[in-house]
Amino acid sequence: MKKWSALLLTMAVLLVLSACSGGNGGSATQSPNGDSGSKGSGDAGKQVTLRVLHWINEPVNKYMEDVFIPQFEEKYTNVKIDYTTVPSDSTYDQLMQTRINANDADIVAYKSSFVGAPQEWSPGAADPLWKQWADAGLLADLTEEDFIANYNPVDVENAMTYDGKVYGVNMGKVSFTGLFYNKDIFAQYNLDVPTTWDEFMVVLNTLKDNGVTPIGFAGKEVWPINLAVQGLQATIHEDQLAYIKGLWTGETKFTDPAAIEVLEKAQIMMNYAQNGFMGTDYGTLPSLFAAGQVAMAADGTWNAATYQGLNPDLNFGYFPIPGSSNAAVNGKLAGKYDMTWMVVEKSSNKDWALTFLEEMSSRDNYTAFVNAAGFLPTQDVTVDSEFINEIMPYLGEFILAWDQLAINRENVGQYADGSSPHAEFLKPAGPLESPQELADLSQKDWDAAAQ
Amino acid sequence: MYPFGKGLSRHMPFLLLMIPVALYVLLAVGPSLVTIVFSFTNATGIPGTSWQFIGLDNYKTFFTASNAGDQVRAIGRSLYFAFAVVLIQNAVALLIAIIVNKRLRGDVFYRATYFLPVVLGVTVSGLIWQMMFNPMGGPAQKLLNVFGTQSNFFGSYDIAFELIIFVQIWMYMGYSMTIFLAGLQAIPKDLYEAGYMDGARGWSSFRHITFPMIAPAMTVNILLSIIGALQTFDIIYVLTGGNFETSTLAYNVFAAAFATTTSDFGRASAIAMIQFVFVFAFAIVAMLYFRKREVEL
Repeated sequence: MKKWSALLLTMAVLLVLSACSGGNGGSATQSPNGDSGSKGSGDAGKQVTLRVLHWINEPVNKYMEDVFIPQFEEKYTNVKIDYTTVPSDSTYDQLMQTRINANDADIVAYKSSFVGAPQEWSPGAADPLWKQWADAGLLADLTEEDFIANYNPVDVENAMTYDGKVYGVNMGKVSFTGLFYNKDIFAQYNLDVPTTWDEFMVVLNTLKDNGVTPIGFAGKEVWPINLAVQGLQATIHEDQLAYIKGLWTGETKFTDPAAIEVLEKAQIMMNYAQNGFMGTDYGTLPSLFAAGQVAMAADGTWNAATYQGLNPDLNFGYFPIPGSSNAAVNGKLAGKYDMTWMVVEKSSNKDWALTFLEEMSSRDNYTAFVNAAGFLPTQDVTVDSEFINEIMPYLGEFILAWDQLAINRENVGQYADGSSPHAEFLKPAGPLESPQELADLSQKDWDAAAQ
Repeated sequence: MYPFGKGLSRHMPFLLLMIPVALYVLLAVGPSLVTIVFSFTNATGIPGTSWQFIGLDNYKTFFTASNAGDQVRAIGRSLYFAFAVVLIQNAVALLIAIIVNKRLRGDVFYRATYFLPVVLGVTVSGLIWQMMFNPMGGPAQKLLNVFGTQSNFFGSYDIAFELIIFVQIWMYMGYSMTIFLAGLQAIPKDLYEAGYMDGARGWSSFRHITFPMIAPAMTVNILLSIIGALQTFDIIYVLTGGNFETSTLAYNVFAAAFATTTSDFGRASAIAMIQFVFVFAFAIVAMLYFRKREVEL
């Protein structure tokens, strides 16, 4: 009898414990939902904490923390913004996933726009995260929001829309297929911005002969190397999308002459990089360039404000990597739609999140944002960044870069996975001697993953 | 008769014990069981998405998909990692424990110093060693430059993985050392005196007295380091992010669940189960072997 009562008691304890934890989780997410559901912007009274996630991008973070958030909190005194930033590598990807899955965020920045969804020519390709979220109903539908009309219709269509509905607010375009260059160093050695590969080689050799490290690469995280590779791809491939489709249908191969040429030239560029470039992390690259230790840096235009901030006297520009010997095809920068704000559908502060985006989208705030971030605007506003205006001629028509167009096969091996060729396997970065070898391995991985 | 009193208070210790047991069931056993279930589904971990039972598909994919070669290499690296860590970490830890166990001046300082990395945590240790092995003018690079050579360290396909092993050993060596130290201090002094009478000095005294006497500590250390090493992914994540052929089975569990492009909890769970089988098998074999050694004394 005693035994049974003990057992019953422990069962009761267990039940209480599990009920407690369940109840807690439920009430924490439920009750504010019911309260704030009826309230719109401008409603004061209840204290609200708006949880915003973003990765570390100094110019954007600085604008948000020093300008926008204080301004927003002053206007809506009952709202406190909890702005979380973590490094932009997989740390951010993981944070974003766990917080969205746990419904522990209100506004989340996505690292690009809504690209990469499987196409009719890519059978069996996996859904990208944003699509999984949208399909699961985790992203708020913004189609009916007035502030969407502030953005250029074509950009809304290309960057924020999926399945006829607007699920995000894209804050601007960037390019990353060029190189930052130090104008003073170029002037010192009478160098002009190269418009062909041969001229580029002259620039590289002149710098090297004079003891200047020509290019700074940040190889530690690998992806920054691939920015330059995508610069080569944008000019060497005649039509990137056709080539990518061809990989799926078998009409083109990783071993095609153009693809080999990309790898060869990437290998050449890496041979002109600073010592230890494979251990240089992305955060260190701007300081190398700003200190004049490298004449050029393979980086995206989003970082221009960082370069300027490190050394206000720095005299620098940006030019597309001239991958081809034909100057006519070289003068274009490719890029991507950069950060996209998404509102978490089940957020307890959804209305405030929408107010947040509405404020961001106002003409004044948006203009201040693109100017601070160094983005190309997706609203019809003028940018006063000298840097952006200088590269405008290269941006005649916005061309999407390789990683925005590419769709990969599932479970593809290490030589072909990810979103651009793996130049880091090539010497001097990696173990492979020749581009041909890497191309063969990539094609082998790709073929093996065919369904 | 009743050590804890009478009536309800008689059951008090057991009732109190139920609290940690309940927490353990809730936070450890439950998720483990869910992992087993997940491994037979195509769950994505994204709330609101539907998922189905797909039988052994995740396991089949692991062994037969086009990137199975990469997975096999990851398993190979896991075993290499575990083997190196178990061997070196315990050898070094034992050596240092013996030295520290001698009544040196300032032995407390040395013990604390050797134990410090255990307290630091993965991120701090990772940062320290990234600075030490910074190829842009870090101390290790300067040293190599003296010899007219250089390296990319954590950015190098040749030695990144070995350096991770080194950092792992550096981090947990103090832990093993402490366990050995406890074992060493439990050895009665008169055993050595008796051995001395029988002519056991130096090496033979270690071989015939110290080594057998610390067998239980050895078993514990070997088991802990096998399990720890086969499960390590955090230090890899911090130091190389799985790049440069440093991903292991445990790292792939993390990568499958939280990849940049998609999340696949079903596949991650299947890899976790395969990892569990490895850990379990090695731990059981090691335990049986070393336990037998203890008994034979």
